[in-house]
Amino acid sequence: METQNPIVIMLINMTIVFAVLFVLSLYIRLIHKIDPTAKAAAAPKAAPKAAPAPKTAAPAPVVEKGIADETVAAIAAALATMGVGFSRVKAIRVADRPAWGGVARHEGLTTLKMR
Amino acid sequence: MDILSAFLTSIQSVWLDSGFASFTLGNFIMILVGLLLLYMAIGKEFEPLLLTPIAFGCIMANFPCTGFLEEPGVMQVIHYGIQYEIFPPLIFLGVGAMTDFGPLIANPNTLFLGAAAQFGVFISLAGAMALGFTAQEASAIGIIGGADGPTAIYMASKMAPNLLGAIAVAAYSYMSLVPLIQPPIMKLMTSKEERSIKMEQLRNVTKFERLVFPISSAIIISLLLPPVAALISMLMLGNLFRESGVTDRLSDTSQNALCNIVTIFLATGTGMTMSAEHFLTVQTIEIILLGLLAFAGGTAAGVLLGKVMCRLSGGKINPLIGSAGVSAVPMAARVSQMVGQKANPSNFLLMHAMGPNVAGVIGTAVAAGTMMAMLGAK
Repeated sequence: METQNPIVIMLINMTIVFAVLFVLSLYIRLIHKIDPTAKAAAAPKAAPKAAPAPKTAAPAPVVEKGIADETVAAIAAALATMGVGFSRVKAIRVADRPAWGGVARHEGLTTLKMR
Repeated sequence: MDILSAFLTSIQSVWLDSGFASFTLGNFIMILVGLLLLYMAIGKEFEPLLLTPIAFGCIMANFPCTGFLEEPGVMQVIHYGIQYEIFPPLIFLGVGAMTDFGPLIANPNTLFLGAAAQFGVFISLAGAMALGFTAQEASAIGIIGGADGPTAIYMASKMAPNLLGAIAVAAYSYMSLVPLIQPPIMKLMTSKEERSIKMEQLRNVTKFERLVFPISSAIIISLLLPPVAALISMLMLGNLFRESGVTDRLSDTSQNALCNIVTIFLATGTGMTMSAEHFLTVQTIEIILLGLLAFAGGTAAGVLLGKVMCRLSGGKINPLIGSAGVSAVPMAARVSQMVGQKANPSNFLLMHAMGPNVAGVIGTAVAAGTMMAMLGAK
């Protein structure tokens, strides 16, 4: 090394440091450009945006005969309380279960101990 | 009487062979310095993992008549590990395994902040040469401003082995004092509005980018700057262990067991270079002052470029992340987060500051490599 001038040494070194890191920053951008996995990673995110839900009115649920309008309203209110839209309900019908089975299920749930 | 005489002669011989007979005022002062460092490590919790072994090494170095460095033994092996630059690359392996380059890859512009913070290195180099140090010694002193202990030791071993103790102690002391040194400079150079700037969330970085970056960076930088190939290659190898997903055991060992073991050896060995005859000199005081100048200069230059980038980006970059370019991973990034959050409690700069922080590690290694190539290692 010929020069012993601190200012010259300082300027040369600072320039080299900036140049090397500039090349590295270009290289990082190049890696990003040629990344073959980038599209695959972006695709699942794009999918929901590409197919937005149609803004047409949802069909009304099929309500079985014999179920009162008040019951339907109560179900809709309960679902709304839980944050579920009524449009997601496809049908409302009486459960085809024997009464004894229902009682047993209710008993089982109410006496269940959480551990 | 013969028995009494033999007894007294034996006592006298034991006394003359003991360290007390050769104990000097310098040894006493350096043991006090060691105790002060221990207090800072244990009492004040300033980088205790590093300062505790350094402080104890300093105390051990001032036990007279031990022959630690003259006779073969564990102390000499530890000293060889430092003298022949074995420990710094091993530490870098652990640092690489602990480092997430994601923020840097997501925002490559932060590399410039890492480069700007190296300005302190070169200010200090010029200052050291003005004080009469040789160009090689000045370059080793300047690297203290990189706030990167292993690189400072690596550089000092190659360029100025006679100053190794003072340089290592200054580097590690200032690293531990980052939370005290940086905030006043950062506040002085920025307005509250600038410190309050919130930055946008970084983009996701794919596994491909995380894998290609360490491999290709090791190749490019090592080919460009062979003097630091050992440091950069080990840093990137450690990072590859982390990112590959198939070498979890190696990554775990690198960042925990191996890194801790080498830290014990490196830090104790560094402390053992602090013997009174080598350390209690005017040069040491000059080195410590130049180190402070380097550190402050690096912080200021990083914040200054941060301000420029803030203007150019239309106020999207918080200038505080520039100070993290001085390395000291992750302490400097935490300081950026801390100062930013004081100005705006909903500000989270940590991940953004990690970009310049890891860029600073690469920048310091590049600065070291450049100076070694230009000035020639001893």
